[in-house]
Amino acid sequence: MKQQPEKINLEQWDHRYRSLQQAGLIEPDFGGILSRHVIDGDLRLLRLEYDNSVAALNLWNFLLTEEDRLFDSRKNGRKIVGAMKDLGTVPVIAYCFDELISFYPDGAWWIPCVMELNDGMFGIADSLGIDESFCPVRAMLGAFLSEAHFPIPDLLICSTGAVCDDFSAIAQRLNGLGFPIFWWEIPHRRLPEKDEHAINLPGGFTAPIDQLQFVRTELERIVEAIEQLAGQSLNKDMLRSGIQRANNIRDVLNRLRYLTFTADICPMPALEMLIAEMIAIHYCSDQNLAMVVLTDLLEEVRHRVSAGVGVLQPDAARIFWINPVADLQVMNVLEDCGGRICGTEYLFTHALDPVPVDIDPLDALAQMALADPMVGPAWQRAERICNDIKLFGSEAVIISRIPGASHCAVEGRVIATIIREKIDIPVIEIEVPPVSQSIQPALRTRIEALVETVKNRR
Amino acid sequence: MLTVGIDAGSRTIKIVIFDAEARSIIDGLVIDQGIKQGQLALNLLDKILAANNIQKDKVSRIVATGYGRNLIHFAEKTVTEITCQAAGIKHFMPDAVSIIDIGGQDSKYIQLDPNGNVHNFAMNDRCAAGTGRFLEVVATRLDLELEAFGNLAAASKSAAIISSMCVVFAETEIVSLLAEGVAAADIASGVMRAIASRVVAMAGGNVSEPIVFTGGVALVPGMAEAIEAVSSKSVCIAPSAQLTAALGAAIIAAK
Repeated sequence: MKQQPEKINLEQWDHRYRSLQQAGLIEPDFGGILSRHVIDGDLRLLRLEYDNSVAALNLWNFLLTEEDRLFDSRKNGRKIVGAMKDLGTVPVIAYCFDELISFYPDGAWWIPCVMELNDGMFGIADSLGIDESFCPVRAMLGAFLSEAHFPIPDLLICSTGAVCDDFSAIAQRLNGLGFPIFWWEIPHRRLPEKDEHAINLPGGFTAPIDQLQFVRTELERIVEAIEQLAGQSLNKDMLRSGIQRANNIRDVLNRLRYLTFTADICPMPALEMLIAEMIAIHYCSDQNLAMVVLTDLLEEVRHRVSAGVGVLQPDAARIFWINPVADLQVMNVLEDCGGRICGTEYLFTHALDPVPVDIDPLDALAQMALADPMVGPAWQRAERICNDIKLFGSEAVIISRIPGASHCAVEGRVIATIIREKIDIPVIEIEVPPVSQSIQPALRTRIEALVETVKNRR
Repeated sequence: MLTVGIDAGSRTIKIVIFDAEARSIIDGLVIDQGIKQGQLALNLLDKILAANNIQKDKVSRIVATGYGRNLIHFAEKTVTEITCQAAGIKHFMPDAVSIIDIGGQDSKYIQLDPNGNVHNFAMNDRCAAGTGRFLEVVATRLDLELEAFGNLAAASKSAAIISSMCVVFAETEIVSLLAEGVAAADIASGVMRAIASRVVAMAGGNVSEPIVFTGGVALVPGMAEAIEAVSSKSVCIAPSAQLTAALGAAIIAAK
């Protein structure tokens, strides 16, 4: 039953779901009425607005059933790899093995938002000395100790070095609590010296080849650890196949992004696009299902674009959004204020780029890891953002800071300055806590003012 | 054509009646903000209309702005205070390039284009650092009204260094400074210097002249001078500095 695209609330989704069922809706195993997740404690869902397509329903249900998949995997004897602070390299390797699944424990940072702080995760982190001066990813500590949201992984792999300081501190605290972590180091990406051999990386970055070789050596250690867990060796063909599967998902997501960001009328809301990007980097604990869910979403967007329909007014201000939000509802707020997403940089663009397939597969993954926007200087990140702003025709930029996240504090100003200098479009910085209700009037003022400025400039 | 602009700020509600043909302000009023913001604004509208002997039906359009703008249900339209400030300042000072607006809860830097429209802007974080609230807390601690606080700062011989911009921490610091016998004038001057530093930093440290200072804090004696000292630029206080956003709203209502 096809309806005109629109954003609807949870109650409206329940009505629509029943109508769809009566009309013979065929659902995946993880399907069901969306409001059932509220009974599980996901109270934030009551305040969100959703896309009304079946593809979006499946997207949400896929996201909100990840815990079930993880506990089922444990029950069924599949080994679980927790890929921490890594968005695009370790999961690709882990999914080369049939008997392994990989997930992203850092994703627990959204639990306090989704459960509107009723989960107790921050309280546990507080009691461990990791208070609100740290990034909300500290909720992960609570998730590990309570074991309420995911089973303890059989292998925990975490990158450290030129990544988020907060996360490294939190992960070290976790390690100290008796959760063994396999650490690997990612160096700060730097420009090659005159006498150094340079290598071009995905995303337009350059680094000395020595750095690449170092990262490759680190990945070799990771492969060995995963092979031990799987009881199976990883050959190059397996790795190539794994990379191909990752690339297939990235390809779908990139087409989805391009179509959505460049369409005259926004075909898919910002919130669903954020979830889609997150799913594409860690697969929500099932790589094959992730592909199906994202492909369906792409089909829906294609259909809407070709029909010239969408979920927002055609004159919506085209906003480029930097950093993921701690409170999902703010993506709705952007659209309420007259904006739409036209470009994103959620700190993991390296995990959206296709992995090179014409070189040694482990070298290719090392290149991807070194192309992480977080491990290089902020100006390089800003330059890539500027290129994407031009590609998507964005009219303004919102830099959304994560409270307590150390990199946000230093990078935001650098990025804003470079965008203003190079592209001369308005840029604002906002800070979004996990539950933003009490500061929404202030957030709305900033976003509405940005939209007004964009429209006055046209 | 008469239009009305209402700026429902965090500390005060401001109202302006504007004659669109004559391009002139008929009157402006300010009252303290309260819990029933919509009703307070309505009372203020009635009061200003009565004081100027104007019937309600002579008002063509009302635009609300400010933090509480969405609670002014009788307004035909809402516009943010950033856009309204630009419109208000353009009326008074068409050559202005930069606006520094410090209100009770927000501080803003607004960069204008050659037509007087907003080109870019920056606002404070969600904390009260660099806002009028910061001044109020310190003034209360020193048992002073804001105007007296500003006048006191002028007597400072050596501004105290306030190292924290968090209102709560700063209040603790001030208690310590008082206990150490630091003169209240030096504390007041230090606080004003700290706010000025915060606002100039928010603007990226490079504020273009001419700079217009507006908002309730612009009326605090010595605050403009503090911004001048920190930015090394001259700062001009807007005429009717507390009313510029309400005026801008009234001008937008006339469009």
